[in-house]
Amino acid sequence: MSTRIIPWVEKYRPKRIDEVIGNPEAKKAFVAWLNKWMRGTPSKKALLMYGPPGIGKTSLVYAAAAQYDLELIEANASDVRTSQAIRRRIFRAVTETSLFGKRGKIILLDEVDGISPKEDRGGLQTILELIRISRFPVVLTANDPWDPKLRPLRDQCQLVEFRKIGKRDIIKVLQNICKNEKIECSYQVLSAIADNVRGDLRAAINDLQIISTGKLSISLEDLDILGYRAKQLNMFEVVRQVLTARRPETARMVLSMPSLDYEMLMLWLNENIIYQYWPSIIAIADAYDMLSRADVYLGRIKRKQYWSLLPYVLELMTVGVSSARERPPFKFVKYKFPEKLRMLSRSRNKRERMNSIIRSISKNLHMSSRKILTEVIPYLKIIGDENPSMLRKILKSMNISERSFREIFLTNA
Amino acid sequence: MSIELWVEKYRPQSLDDMVDQEEIVNRLKEFVRDKNLPHLLFVGPPGTGKTTAALCLAHDLYGEVWRDNILELNASDERGIDIIRSRIKEYARTVPLSEIPFKLIILDEADNMTGDAQQALRRTMELYSRTARFILIANYGSKIIEPIQSRCAIFRFQPLPKEHIIERLRYIAEKENVRVTEDGLEAIYEESEGDLRKAINTLQSASAIGEVVNADTVYKALGKVTPGEVREMIEAAVKGDLLSARDKLRSLMYSYGLSGVDVVKLIHREVISGRSFTDIDNYTRATLLDLVGEANYRIVEGADDEIQLNALLAKIALVFSKRS
Repeated sequence: MSTRIIPWVEKYRPKRIDEVIGNPEAKKAFVAWLNKWMRGTPSKKALLMYGPPGIGKTSLVYAAAAQYDLELIEANASDVRTSQAIRRRIFRAVTETSLFGKRGKIILLDEVDGISPKEDRGGLQTILELIRISRFPVVLTANDPWDPKLRPLRDQCQLVEFRKIGKRDIIKVLQNICKNEKIECSYQVLSAIADNVRGDLRAAINDLQIISTGKLSISLEDLDILGYRAKQLNMFEVVRQVLTARRPETARMVLSMPSLDYEMLMLWLNENIIYQYWPSIIAIADAYDMLSRADVYLGRIKRKQYWSLLPYVLELMTVGVSSARERPPFKFVKYKFPEKLRMLSRSRNKRERMNSIIRSISKNLHMSSRKILTEVIPYLKIIGDENPSMLRKILKSMNISERSFREIFLTNA
Repeated sequence: MSIELWVEKYRPQSLDDMVDQEEIVNRLKEFVRDKNLPHLLFVGPPGTGKTTAALCLAHDLYGEVWRDNILELNASDERGIDIIRSRIKEYARTVPLSEIPFKLIILDEADNMTGDAQQALRRTMELYSRTARFILIANYGSKIIEPIQSRCAIFRFQPLPKEHIIERLRYIAEKENVRVTEDGLEAIYEESEGDLRKAINTLQSASAIGEVVNADTVYKALGKVTPGEVREMIEAAVKGDLLSARDKLRSLMYSYGLSGVDVVKLIHREVISGRSFTDIDNYTRATLLDLVGEANYRIVEGADDEIQLNALLAKIALVFSKRS
């Protein structure tokens, strides 16, 4: 079984663009951009692919290079800025034609958001210069493109968003691999793997390879070796143990878990107190009050590094929360994932655009962003609702695009 | 092209144009005559002309090139003293572009800096006092540490008198060809609490609503200034519907982008004005005030604004569940 030594993520890496799973729109945008390059130089010479890890950003570039017969010049973003020699090599590569009789080249700079503004001063400048002089398409990837330090880069790049891969797509890929590797594996197992990786296809393939090593068939029990799988499941149990504890010691027991992420637990409690203690308003108010006190201590720790306060945070959020008065009798509640995290990640793009508009207004009005948001935007909204031409005039005088303003502030999400 | 938002369009450009804060303005004019000034601290409520006075002073001092000789910083935008310090350092190092031997650094909302940051600022002020003068602007002088206060000439800006606000509103309305009625002006003044910026913004938004700015259009505008979600959130909490109260809260925070303190201030305003809490006795209102104040304190001290506000909403629900 020597074939198993090759990582499956390499073995099953797509060879053609249409074999890349998921993200049809991102693929279309990328191919359109690449096709522009085949006919000349597009207005944006670089393209920034962004999205969570393991969803096919790099694979798409590999597949495109193969299909378009391009030489792939791959540089880790840190290579570009480290030694002069490496820099020179890459700078030469992007200006000279290919040596291998290929039709051209494509440059891939992975993980540009890993650049640290302090240690890699000039790193971004180097990348910007590389884009400027390159005669070939430059593709950058990042997990988090909204980092303020990447702003100059964003301006130079066409942005293409990649999303998590759907569960069904992941299962399909895993099924194919199983077939190919002649492994017997139930749908249940594959579905559990897919649930666990939450959209990260690479992680799913890696997990499948790990649990099937030396086996011809795999069952649900085999999944236990994926240690981190337990964490996600446990959060539900931890929440349940705290909220339904009959005695303080029971609630306290969750603190003995070695890997308890207490800040995450706070968010989960914040989400689920109402569901568990409904309809007792007293219980809800008591539990929230304790959680809020725990949060106050956490704030002091964060601001002043008073780590000696940590025990109070932990005890108030467990023993404190569970000691709410007039708790309703036990009932089984299906807990929800913290909506706050979901909303924050969903509205990230919008908030970034909102902040950029607010900053432009702030420059014009000698006021802080905070004040613009609370003391100017509300009036602009009224004006926009009642008298569009007045709003147009105001925005124009501050050089702000009316369309983005309307999209961000005047449509109700 | 001038900015078409009236607060900016009608901001005085020179000290000569400033009609209010007469004594302060006269002193500032003396500084301009002497071509010299100490560090300044402008203290006073919002919308009383502090930033305007600083900008006018810069304008009169440096003439046409005033923009090249000032650095405007906002303590609540520039996170961290390190950023402020490095920007000031960078700026103060270069030679002024005029006959005045120093540049001006305007630090707005200085009372939002922590004590530590102010200590660091004090050293920075000393270090660059030869090439730069500071104008610190704050709502509350007491939030500025003593050592900084003692290095500054302090000017206290007073809330603008009613006649002046109304006069200014009338002047702007005339320039903009907007008809205003007496009761309209009264209504704007009542809500503005001496804050000219708020008054002018209200005037402009009311003028967008109707041909004539009267009490009716003014109240319509004012009713829309507070996001509807605030009242809906409070009403839901009062009814004990904590899930929908939380939904509204999240929409205010994550969709509108308001901070926890912003939201708590809006709730505070609703408690005080009695718009949301009609039909409660004075004791209940005082209880609510205490809860809101406690939540405000905990937000400032705590780490997660949403947890604190959910706790407040639950306590409001509790107050009202006991009443019924």
